[in-house]
Amino acid sequence: MKCDTFYLIGMYTKTIMKSWFQYKIDAVLRSLAVFLREATGIIVIYFTLLKFDTLNGWNLYEMLFLFSFLFVTYGILILFFTGLRDFGDTVRNGNFDRFILRPRGLLFQIIFINADWFAAIGHGCLGIALFIISAGKVGVEWNVISIFYAIVTIVGGVFIQGAIFLFLATLNIYLLETDSLKEIFYWNMRKFAGYPISIFHKGIQMIMIYIVPFAFVNYFPVQFLLRKADMAQYPSLFMYMTPLVGAGMYLLAYGFWRLSLKYYKSSGN
Amino acid sequence: MMLKPYFAFAKKSFLKRSAYRFNHLMSIFNTCLQIFIFWGIYKALYGDRTEVDGITMSMVTTNFILSMGLSAVFYVDDYFLPSKIWDGSIANELLRPVSFKGKMIAENLGNAAFNFVFQFVPALLICVWTIGMKPPASPQMFVLFLVSAILGYGVLWSISFAVQMTAFWLVNIWSLTTIKTVFINVLSGSMIPLWFMPEWMRGVLQFTPFSSIYFTPVQIYLGQLSLQEICFQYLVQILWIIVIYFVGNLLWIKGQKKLVVQGG
Repeated sequence: MKCDTFYLIGMYTKTIMKSWFQYKIDAVLRSLAVFLREATGIIVIYFTLLKFDTLNGWNLYEMLFLFSFLFVTYGILILFFTGLRDFGDTVRNGNFDRFILRPRGLLFQIIFINADWFAAIGHGCLGIALFIISAGKVGVEWNVISIFYAIVTIVGGVFIQGAIFLFLATLNIYLLETDSLKEIFYWNMRKFAGYPISIFHKGIQMIMIYIVPFAFVNYFPVQFLLRKADMAQYPSLFMYMTPLVGAGMYLLAYGFWRLSLKYYKSSGN
Repeated sequence: MMLKPYFAFAKKSFLKRSAYRFNHLMSIFNTCLQIFIFWGIYKALYGDRTEVDGITMSMVTTNFILSMGLSAVFYVDDYFLPSKIWDGSIANELLRPVSFKGKMIAENLGNAAFNFVFQFVPALLICVWTIGMKPPASPQMFVLFLVSAILGYGVLWSISFAVQMTAFWLVNIWSLTTIKTVFINVLSGSMIPLWFMPEWMRGVLQFTPFSSIYFTPVQIYLGQLSLQEICFQYLVQILWIIVIYFVGNLLWIKGQKKLVVQGG
């Protein structure tokens, strides 16, 4: 690691902040819009559970707790992985060629050169708010172990989603257009992730566990803390696997990325 | 008024959409997925119960299929005017010998027609085949449902029209349109059947245009309203279209005077 790495990170972050907050009112409005857009699912579940009390045994606060993991991890994720989320554009407009010519690691540049602060603030604040509202009311005993567990799984959840982004970004090297794949494999699966996966069709559960493992981002970690009845149908080992799944998936995606860089051909300009 | 050029605009936007086949396959997939998620949630919520407050599960399913299906049809381009202000082409648009608003309606309708044939119908067939839905209460109600759905589109369109007009004053209206969409999603009944909203919330909703977008047509389809109530709901829908359009039009007239095009 070169000695000016942190200086560079600082400079990148400063530039991003400056450009995002150029128009202050707009920045506030945008963060608010992201916040509200993401809160849609929560407002919906709030009104629904006012009427129905529980969803497959989960009450309102437990549902909010489940949602909070999804938003906190995305809020952290997007500070680092915006560049990978939008990597398709970088390849298409030829900016990636510029990255290659610079004397720094490619992933380093992609990760630190861009951060979607509106999304980070919108999702992050929502996640933290949900966590604060629900954490005291779901009957979790907060001690050293459960706090440590929560932190480790949040990091693991960030890496799981980061690996999905990295994997999809790598596909851009072979295919120029991967937005539809991202829509199917990331955004659509994420729509299911806010709810206890046990309510869905078996096929969807399989996808959520083995293919796009969102279940390890929030469902299984929350199960460890809450121990709801519907956990009985899954191996209890799943509750401990989030960091492992995160690390494993990330390493695989990183290997795929390194391997694929050799085949990179510019899209031309 | 000559309608011919507007038909041409509508046809053009219809054909433009047919070029992106994969995209519209994705949209069908997305619409169905959204319906399946909410169907799954309500199936779990209902459990063994056959009805809640007199509302059966198949009525809930029908509500989701119709309102989410209609929301796939009800295409409104929220950036029709803003994008033309950004790139300056609004100047040319205003010089054309056709009405700008007319062109806007025509292009949106062309898209809506495309969505109806290539998204609503396939999504509906998939959903009927997989999760099933109730048939209309009667052929007569079905016709009344269609009329109300068209009026619902009018309400949705005029809301978007009014919001777009703020682009004359705001540089970036992404936040505003996003917030607008949130309100519509939550309050129109497409994500929470309005039967299950708390009493006070239903009281508030009576004074907003949101429930007349999807929920009124759905209620008519299910035969929940008497003929008298249907007439009243039609009036409510028409009133909202007029009021919101009037506000939007006021902004449109003021905005044109204020319009500054930064180069071209």
